[in-house]
Amino acid sequence: MAIGMLMAEDAAPLPWQADVQAARKGDPSAFEALVRSVQRPVYGLALRLLQSEAEAAEVAQEALLRAYQNLHRYDDARPFDLWVLAITRNLCLDLLRRRTKVRTEELEPMKEVLPSNEASQEDGAIAREERQSLEAAMETLSVDDREVLALYYVQKRTTKEIAQIMGCAPGTIMARLFRAREKLRKKMTPAEEETK
Amino acid sequence: MSPTPCPDLEVLFAELEAGEGPALDHAAECEACAAVMEEHRLLENDLYRLADPLPPPSLVVNVMARVAESPVPQRREVWTGLAILLTSLGVGLGFLFTNDRALGRMGTAFAASVRDGRMFVEGLFSGAHALWSTAGLAVACIVAFVVFTSLFGLKRLVGSPPPSLSEA
Repeated sequence: MAIGMLMAEDAAPLPWQADVQAARKGDPSAFEALVRSVQRPVYGLALRLLQSEAEAAEVAQEALLRAYQNLHRYDDARPFDLWVLAITRNLCLDLLRRRTKVRTEELEPMKEVLPSNEASQEDGAIAREERQSLEAAMETLSVDDREVLALYYVQKRTTKEIAQIMGCAPGTIMARLFRAREKLRKKMTPAEEETK
Repeated sequence: MSPTPCPDLEVLFAELEAGEGPALDHAAECEACAAVMEEHRLLENDLYRLADPLPPPSLVVNVMARVAESPVPQRREVWTGLAILLTSLGVGLGFLFTNDRALGRMGTAFAASVRDGRMFVEGLFSGAHALWSTAGLAVACIVAFVVFTSLFGLKRLVGSPPPSLSEA
């Protein structure tokens, strides 16, 4: 498939099932294992949406705590990380709704905080400056656009998984991805905008 | 350059997913469209290289500290439902025992329901017997289906309620 827009939609195995069951019975180490397995995507999504390290850490904590408190309501048949990511997303959106002013002073450090995979990819790593300009352009997008781009490209989620997290139809994700990417492209190449 | 006007980009990328279409045919001959598609491809390559930031080292510790203060509420909704049921029952009984007329009406209603209930049950059994003797197999299939779907639904409801993510 051209430009790699489609990814495998196969259902992933559920390696956390045993930990979930143990945590439900009150085993804290099992829940700690679950927290460790999802903390990075949870914090990453929160940071992309909120653009504030302090708030992202706070929301990630709250999301994981709520997951623990609602563990008996979690459907074992569904991926645990998607469930926690959906909780995180809802908390972030609630917080964004409550915000009364833009905290621009917290946007600058984000560029230094968000890393790339270049350390793990010896060949073809993008330059630090390019990455920073890409991150900066992403920060100017709307929450919806940042969210779909982060989940698809950064967290490598499938469209089906993203639809589960966002609570929408899987068929709409590719269109949303395209629109977000097109906005990003225009931000990245303002001089060449509207070449067609 | 292609003689046809450039298509809407969303249409072009929809056709790219589908693998064919007039917009794709146009893009194959249009330098401008081809350039945009190439820019998207390069942008995707860059986006795929981004990674989630590492969470603060204290995140797990902080979460587990809060977890320690907050034991898992086992089936909290069951206890809530039970409390509501018992409260309603208490209020209802309290009203009856403190009101002679209400108590009398309840006794009359109970006696009437016993009398009518017996007739109803007899009629029900008679109807069921007639149905069974005329279409036994169909009835058995329907009953089995109803029992199976009810049990399946009950299991889903009790065992694993759908995670209402917004409520969680």
